[in-house]
Amino acid sequence: MRTFRNPFLNWLAENPGLAAFAFIGLVILLLALVPIFLYLMPIRKVPIIYNIRNLQSRWKTTIVTALAFTLVTTLLTFMLSFVKGMDRLIEASGDPGNVMILSDGATDEAFSNLGNFAVEQLPGDLQAQIDFYVKEVYVVVMYMVPDPLPGARPRRFVQMRGLDNMPKAALMHGVELTAGHSWVSDAGAKSIGPNETAKEIVLGHGVARAFGEDLGKSIVEPGDVIRLGPAKWVVVGVMQEGSAAFGSEIWTRDQNVMQTFGRENSYSSYVIRIKDGSIERAKKAVAALKDVKIERNFQVFTEKEYYAKMSDTSKQFSAASYVVAFIMAIGGILGVMNTMYAAISQRSKDIGVLRLMGYRRWQILLCFQFEALLIAILGGIVGCLIAFLLFNGMTVTSIISSGAGGGGKTVVLRLIVDGGVLFTGMVFSILMGALGGLIPALSAMRLQPLESLK
Amino acid sequence: MFTRIYDQIANDYVNLTATIIGLIVVVAAIAYVVAYPRLFMLGVKNLQRNFLRTGLTAGAIAVLGLMITIIWTIIYFIDLITVERSKDLKIIVTYKWSVPSQLPMPDADYLDPSSKKFLPELTENGKPLYGSKDFMIWSFYGGTTDPAKITPDTLIFFFVMNPEQIIPMMDDMQDLDPKLVEALSDEKKPYACLLGVDKLKALNKKVGERFKLTSVNYKGIDLAFEIVGVFPDGRYNASAIMRMDYFNRAFDLYKQKNNNATHPLADKRLNLIWIRVGDRAMFDRVGSAIEGSKMFSREVKCETASSLIGSFLEAYRDIIWGMKFLLVPGMMVVMALVMANAISITVRERRTEMAVMKVLGFTPNQIFFLILGEAMLVGALAGLLSAGGTFLFFNLKWGGIPFRIGFFPVFRIPESAWMWGLAIGSLTAFIGAAIPAWSAREVKVSEVFSKVA
Repeated sequence: MRTFRNPFLNWLAENPGLAAFAFIGLVILLLALVPIFLYLMPIRKVPIIYNIRNLQSRWKTTIVTALAFTLVTTLLTFMLSFVKGMDRLIEASGDPGNVMILSDGATDEAFSNLGNFAVEQLPGDLQAQIDFYVKEVYVVVMYMVPDPLPGARPRRFVQMRGLDNMPKAALMHGVELTAGHSWVSDAGAKSIGPNETAKEIVLGHGVARAFGEDLGKSIVEPGDVIRLGPAKWVVVGVMQEGSAAFGSEIWTRDQNVMQTFGRENSYSSYVIRIKDGSIERAKKAVAALKDVKIERNFQVFTEKEYYAKMSDTSKQFSAASYVVAFIMAIGGILGVMNTMYAAISQRSKDIGVLRLMGYRRWQILLCFQFEALLIAILGGIVGCLIAFLLFNGMTVTSIISSGAGGGGKTVVLRLIVDGGVLFTGMVFSILMGALGGLIPALSAMRLQPLESLK
Repeated sequence: MFTRIYDQIANDYVNLTATIIGLIVVVAAIAYVVAYPRLFMLGVKNLQRNFLRTGLTAGAIAVLGLMITIIWTIIYFIDLITVERSKDLKIIVTYKWSVPSQLPMPDADYLDPSSKKFLPELTENGKPLYGSKDFMIWSFYGGTTDPAKITPDTLIFFFVMNPEQIIPMMDDMQDLDPKLVEALSDEKKPYACLLGVDKLKALNKKVGERFKLTSVNYKGIDLAFEIVGVFPDGRYNASAIMRMDYFNRAFDLYKQKNNNATHPLADKRLNLIWIRVGDRAMFDRVGSAIEGSKMFSREVKCETASSLIGSFLEAYRDIIWGMKFLLVPGMMVVMALVMANAISITVRERRTEMAVMKVLGFTPNQIFFLILGEAMLVGALAGLLSAGGTFLFFNLKWGGIPFRIGFFPVFRIPESAWMWGLAIGSLTAFIGAAIPAWSAREVKVSEVFSKVA
């Protein structure tokens, strides 16, 4: 594929379908905004003050209609902020230079079983491409909620990842610790009291907050002891916020997981860092690794591909959000049509007078369409503002999965109300106003001056 | 069907509230028509008079009602399966500390009332605390028809089980045609399987045809199947069932072919054990006996199906919260606003008419109920038709709402949805129209006529 210096042109080349969709959307938006542009131009038109005064005189109807726009836009923006948060999380998960090996047929780490092989077993040319690698065992374990509230669930599933080398794994996955905290020691356990030891764990930020709530504080800290499965675990560190999908995981030594949860000598995945860290070399390594047979075939992906496959849930919710928004928009359009038809029937005499004053049909159309757009823009702005204030940065729990064969990972993500989300919210609001106002405005345009004065 | 509707209403506070509101609306409407037949006809004529406005308002209520019906169906279903029952509880026995639960097959014998190894602590006076028909075991066998291209369409995950346990123990299978179970149990065809409609379509196969699977969770256990039947449209559209004896025999064959080496997962192939008990007391008794037993090869735990499903759906908690407490109320407010707008416009346009009505002897209350009645007629009918239409369309076309959450691929709209539509339409119309109707009631004859003059 041809590459351009301009990143925007590159994006267009990589996403032609999305670009076409955006282009069509932009054209529709511009068409919808034509009345506003025309009103700003020095041409003869019904004075703006006429519209403003009409909106003022019917202020209750104006407010109620704008409120409907506000609500629809707020709900749409909320849904889009969730989709955006999921997309951002998936984008941030996986390094282009990492290659993931799962057992053949496994669609998810939870169902993968790999033996304990050494990198030296790989062909020499492949070994030469490897910078370093980490062996990981991933399990979903039972967490007993301490002192659950009456009626609340006494246990939850949490995700635990055992690693043979935690600092290397952190480097590989771009995970950083909160300042002053430490990784799990080589021993993997430490004393928590007289004659009592606990296995050490590092918590993702999201899961640390969830555990914190159970313990009656905002977040757990090093030194806190948690019961996971049949054992006690002591927290030695918490990951920094923004550790992508790993922010919802608990990390410990591989041996701790294997001994506690019956996964002796069984890993879920091997993650390999390719020497120059480029996606091209990672893809070549993937192709080469697919032909390697040690005890069984491997299922190999670049880490980016793996997380892209995990975006099925996100795509489903994204599609559902647009369907919900579309149907809500139909409700909004019918509502604004009602308002505009009423405005026209109340002002049929005004229309007659305007026509007799020499205003042409298209100027009448413009006048009413402008009014509908004003309400839509007002409602849209307030809706976007409310959504931004209420939802931007809000933390929610969700799931990412490939949709094939179950599995999936629980993730903690932040809702993102950014420029793109706000723009989409505004576009929706404006289109609702434009479509809802168009048919009544066309009927106003067709009124005969003398008939309307009767 | 009537029993099902009764259950839906009796066991869910939203359904109960919707039904109460619906009944109040119906009774009030009948009383209104009987007490004020002329006023009712006048209201109907008024709605016909501005048919465009009536149509637009009803349309807005209907599309939003459709969306609420869809969203609430999902919420209702999830609530239903995660709420603890008080009787006919199903205990799920699994490995205690991690998922997926993997137990050795012989562990099931300790809980099978027909087995000689059945735990004595689960008996009373020599009789088991539950019957053979209250017991079921599941393994999961997954495979692909195309190992080079593993996609949801080429993947099949089987419930591996004994056929005779399907009807008595599986949820919503009580009405399954026994001939399907007979076909699955055919001794000559251990490779028989039942598939859901969607799976059949994805495989592009018909009943009677065969296919082969390369396993994705039991390496080396690749099996051939013959489709002997299809599940009725609905909850099991994406599911499949195969026989336990065929699955077990495959492990024996593996051992024979591999110099007596057992499959690495051979003693981890039992995934779930189900037991049905009468009530909570029996659940506690059976559960503590099982959890306290030292016979099992690994620590096991007992929990209700609703609790286990609830744990799996924990990841969707915030999404469901958003649907329940943001989307649905938000849409109801939009419905009320649309109605308030339409009715306030109507009232403003008809102020002279109200004044004339007062002069003619109509009381302020009659005018209030006239306007409120018009709004509620539109709201109730639009809501009812919208929910009913959604119920018929989605259930007939797809067997429910095709939206995958966890292991639920489709959500059947319950019959009580008709009541949701009626209740939501009426309620939002009432809320939206109450203030404009009150302002119509308060119209001052002298003020209106002085303006007209």
